[in-house]
Amino acid sequence: MVGKKNQIVSKFLKGELGLLLALIFIVILFTLLSDYFLIPKNLFNITRQVSTNLIVAIGMTFVILNGEIDLSVGGVAALSGIATASVLISTGSMSLAIITGILIGMLVGVINGILVIYGKVQSFIVTLAMMGIARGTALFWCDGRPISNLAEEFSFFGAGFIKNIPVSSIIAIFIFIIAYIFIHRTKHGLYIRSIGANLEASKLSAIPINRYRIITFITSGTLSGVAGVIITSRLLSAQPVAATGLELDVIAAVILGGASLSGGIGTMIGTLLGSTIIGVIDNGMNLVGISAFFQQIVKGIIILAAVLIKRRD
Amino acid sequence: MGQAILEVKNIYKNFGGIKALQDVSLSLKEGEIHALIGENGAGKSTLIKILTGVIKMDEGEILLNGKRTIIENPISARINGIVAIYQELSLIESLSIAQNIFLGNEPIKKIIGWIDNKTLKKRASNYLKEFNIGFDFDCKISEIGLGQKRIIEILKAMSINAKILLLDEPTTGMSGAEIITLFKIMDKLKKKKVNMFFISHNIEEIFRICDKVTVLRNGKNVGTYKINNVDHQTLVKTMLGKEIEDEYPRRKLKPLPDVLIQTEDFFAKGMLEKINLNLHKGEILGITGAMGAGKSELGEALFASVKKISGKLKIKERQVNFKTPIDAYMNGIAYVPEDRKTQGLFLNYSVENNLLIANINKAIIGKLFISSQRKRKLSMNIAKKLRIIPLDMTIKAQNLSGGNQQKVVIGKWLIGSPDILIMDEPTRGIDVGAKIEVFNLINDLADNGVGIIILSSEFQEVKNICDRIIILRKGVIVREVNSDDISTEEILALALGVKNGR
Repeated sequence: MVGKKNQIVSKFLKGELGLLLALIFIVILFTLLSDYFLIPKNLFNITRQVSTNLIVAIGMTFVILNGEIDLSVGGVAALSGIATASVLISTGSMSLAIITGILIGMLVGVINGILVIYGKVQSFIVTLAMMGIARGTALFWCDGRPISNLAEEFSFFGAGFIKNIPVSSIIAIFIFIIAYIFIHRTKHGLYIRSIGANLEASKLSAIPINRYRIITFITSGTLSGVAGVIITSRLLSAQPVAATGLELDVIAAVILGGASLSGGIGTMIGTLLGSTIIGVIDNGMNLVGISAFFQQIVKGIIILAAVLIKRRD
Repeated sequence: MGQAILEVKNIYKNFGGIKALQDVSLSLKEGEIHALIGENGAGKSTLIKILTGVIKMDEGEILLNGKRTIIENPISARINGIVAIYQELSLIESLSIAQNIFLGNEPIKKIIGWIDNKTLKKRASNYLKEFNIGFDFDCKISEIGLGQKRIIEILKAMSINAKILLLDEPTTGMSGAEIITLFKIMDKLKKKKVNMFFISHNIEEIFRICDKVTVLRNGKNVGTYKINNVDHQTLVKTMLGKEIEDEYPRRKLKPLPDVLIQTEDFFAKGMLEKINLNLHKGEILGITGAMGAGKSELGEALFASVKKISGKLKIKERQVNFKTPIDAYMNGIAYVPEDRKTQGLFLNYSVENNLLIANINKAIIGKLFISSQRKRKLSMNIAKKLRIIPLDMTIKAQNLSGGNQQKVVIGKWLIGSPDILIMDEPTRGIDVGAKIEVFNLINDLADNGVGIIILSSEFQEVKNICDRIIILRKGVIVREVNSDDISTEEILALALGVKNGR
């Protein structure tokens, strides 16, 4: 009987509850280590930082649940930022600029999906190539130089507040809620997960597999575009080298959240917690004054430890 | 028969609260083929795993050649000459037959330490000759069939001088001809004093090849018999622990005249040659043949899961053109694939998700949201009807026994009340008890007007369950006949090509 109780407890600890406890522990730790950690200004900083990563991580969760991967998210975010800035400067229309940025992300998602599904190339390879193509296009477009001096009011999305809450966080929470419902409460989410769990059985269960497979890549591309717009807005400048390495941070967050790279397993709540933990650690380590080089080592170790703990069944 | 090579004495094994083995004792004599039979969950696999060191027993002892031996792990089992051939094969697809046979045991050139390919091939060729097997040893494993793979797996065990072979349902998925080859090899091995445990659900096979049979039930040895002193009836009775009326229950009603499916010149290059067939309402149509006869291809073609098929298809006298399984399902066709683990189930998912995956629309409220209550209710209903055990909708599909898994795959379609049910090898790898339940279900469905196609290489099953039988050979229909007008032997002869059609 005791064994059974332990089993239930350990199951919870390995799931989202464990992540939440880990997050609380980390917050307490940094609060003790730094006087500047638990103050409103810093918390807003964290939420803003987490917001963009979370938005991309949500798209990545779609792709990973489906049993695929999208390495192009960082390149796409940069390309979308450059596109947004260029359109904003040449037309002066903010809505046109934002729509262009998001559409570019969506377009890359469509191309990724078509190449994976109809070209029958592994998503790792397709999106690795696309990572280079998107980043290269961004660099080529602006000749490697940032596009700055954007109109002041554009900063609203990345740096603005509504009733003291950062706009970027509101956008991220909004996207999160929709994604959560979509993945966990509708048949579409069930289908996306099923395809990742067993593609052949899904096909033989009369599920329109190609439709859902392409949806996941489009979601990831589109949300990368959204993140690109927000990053550009926050800096009031589009950097062709923005979001370098974003794909790794985001994949790490999703895996930390409990998803399996082989598909079918993972939750949106897990992704939220995973992204937040990584964001908090990044921020806290900066405040405590850990060198940027050493930070990477710490993050790597945390991810390995999290995955190993889950493995121990 | 000589002395005992392997003795198992008073073995106990518990998993949590489940008594997997209780006081099991048995012995394997020199040069003996000893069958182990029992329902799923009777303890056969547990016993095999203990003998090969995969799991440890709680109590009891194992004697090898009369000496008490502790089998710590699979490696020590191997050192003691005990090798199991599991249903899941351990061959490497991208390597050749010769390379696989000697994997980890390759002849090495003395000085440089390279693999001596010449000797390797020569040894492989000697092996294949010795066992009279006409395979090309340069062939890649990915290019040969399941039955051939299993034979290679056995040869691989022999290359490390296995003394005791544990064959876990080796004939599953093998064609009649391949089974004959396997049995010949087993006979040769027996003469070479290799001892074997043979697990099978097919009692006929046990009478063909084994010397002795031990029946396990609920983790206990309920009887060991010399094969000459026992009959089929007794074995089934001992296995189930009760009398059964009939292994092949008969249906109550006759098929109706309405035509559900009509194919015209179905053709797939190298697979199917101009197949013309029809299926009636409430009919159980058996399509049988040896491996590679085109049964599965025909089933897949009807469910549109493969492309490159030409010919016309009419469903309820209406011309259709299916592009994907979705079209087929929209037209009332459901399909139970051959391999339930890789094609039928989501092993990691709960029973209720598996049951509702194809009909999740029935559990949707507000046009979008899945209702957990409705999902539970729908899956519970069907699970009760099919007597899925345990009746727990949250358990993962991988934790069910083979028979219950098969019920889940069938149940997944029944929620959508299909008009036509195509089943590829519906009783493969499930025990007698579960088989009878599946047959009863098929009969019930047919009596309620569902047209059923059974694609099966079990000739007995086709003969006894189906109303009408179509026998395929190399993609050609060699005979179409009412099941009352043909014997199992004739079906076998036609399917293997020993005898010609009409």
